[in-house]
Amino acid sequence: MAAPVRRVLLCPLRRILTQIPCSGVASSGCRQLSVGLRVPAVQKPNDVVLESPSPWRLLGAVFVQRLAVISRDRSPIEKDFAELLKQTELERSLLADHELRLLEDAERVSRKQEEDYDSDEDSGQDIVTAQDLEDTWDQKLRQFKPAQRLTGSIQKQLLNSEADKKADRTCLERCLEDSLVLLVKEKIGSEDVWLLPQVQWENGETLRETAERALTTLTGNSIKATFLGNAPCGVYKYKFPKDVRTESCVGAKVFFFKALLGSGDIAPNKKGGHVWVSKTELQDYLKPQYLEQVGRFMVDL
Amino acid sequence: MSGVLSQTLTLFSRQNSTLCSLAVLSLQARQTHWQTTILGLRTSLPMRAEPKKKKKVDPKREVALRDRLKKKLKKLERVPPELIPIEDFITPTKYLDETRVREPPRLSFEESERRALLMKAWSRYKQEQHEAEMKTINDALEAQREALEELRLESEELYQAALKRDQRLFPYESQGPCYTPPIPGYQAPEGKFNDITKVHTQ
Repeated sequence: MAAPVRRVLLCPLRRILTQIPCSGVASSGCRQLSVGLRVPAVQKPNDVVLESPSPWRLLGAVFVQRLAVISRDRSPIEKDFAELLKQTELERSLLADHELRLLEDAERVSRKQEEDYDSDEDSGQDIVTAQDLEDTWDQKLRQFKPAQRLTGSIQKQLLNSEADKKADRTCLERCLEDSLVLLVKEKIGSEDVWLLPQVQWENGETLRETAERALTTLTGNSIKATFLGNAPCGVYKYKFPKDVRTESCVGAKVFFFKALLGSGDIAPNKKGGHVWVSKTELQDYLKPQYLEQVGRFMVDL
Repeated sequence: MSGVLSQTLTLFSRQNSTLCSLAVLSLQARQTHWQTTILGLRTSLPMRAEPKKKKKVDPKREVALRDRLKKKLKKLERVPPELIPIEDFITPTKYLDETRVREPPRLSFEESERRALLMKAWSRYKQEQHEAEMKTINDALEAQREALEELRLESEELYQAALKRDQRLFPYESQGPCYTPPIPGYQAPEGKFNDITKVHTQ
């Protein structure tokens, strides 16, 4: 039953999605009246439990996120405020040893330049003044080369192809300041659709296991991710187009599970294509209603 | 004894005026304090040399004495332990020097105005940031709640499985974002160091 239905699934997604709202109240109400719920034996011990399956197909999807690797640059107001804090701290502080030394040297110089200067009064101190030290330190700072924030390959990409914004979004080292999420291209019905890796639920496994299976099957075994808990973080519900709908299956519910990327990446020979995108780039790939549901739980702080 | 004898001697001396000779005799006889009189009973020495009777209360008394001494020692030793000084709360004396005081800056009107306005803008910015964060978190929680509701409608069994705690998740470790990305294959250089932290023992 699974295979043929999946092929015919949702020819035009947009049509369905615009027609049917995603809010659960109305449809769940209808569903309860029409179909017998899968009631657990605890509630009604006397009656025979009706094992009639629900009309919704269950799918488990995984939301794998590579978290930010470098910290974000400061916004203008943050820079200004940081400067202000530094200034006030300096104004309220005591003089440091180095500053005292500078003052002493200045005083000594001014004494030397007076007319009644007696060179025997000076105790023949070293000629290395505090100012000299500052100059040596400045030189050292200029010679120091800090580590680069962007990796070399990405820098080259940015230099070469700035116009083409879709340049190699499969690379995992792009957008180090934001968190990236994995999207795969799947053929649903007759259409190629970008969505989160999902797989049909099978009897006998929990939905989290379904999500784990989705990750391994659709990306190969190379990705290692930590799933954050057993509970789904979001749901996307849709009904099939009317010609595909049958009595036993009206639509599908996709449950999303969050995972954080540990190590590894997809092998580049994945057919259909995969992409790592940040939150702002999601709208280029996902359908509006799908995007709305996914955007609710994508935390990009 | 000697008192009585002297009295009899004086009586005799009144009668015969040989007082002087008798006194001389008595003086000559008393050469040591042990020899009281020649005529006296030799009772003093043997009486004093009698063996001492060991009283039964003695060992108890000694033990009691030792206990009292021990108690006194313990009281003296019960000194409260010296408090470990907190290095941060002790201002080193070299910072109390008056020559180190910086003169307070003289700010122009524009500068002080700019500072005040910047502080206000900053508080506004932070408030917006906080509100955005709270909204994001609440949205995510709402999405999760709805997902669990839908799942419950589907099957109670899967719902109960979803509610269970994940035992394998904690303790979870992850490297946070740094200023520069990690250099692949970087080996930190080993170095020797002298640890000069002061260790206080109580």
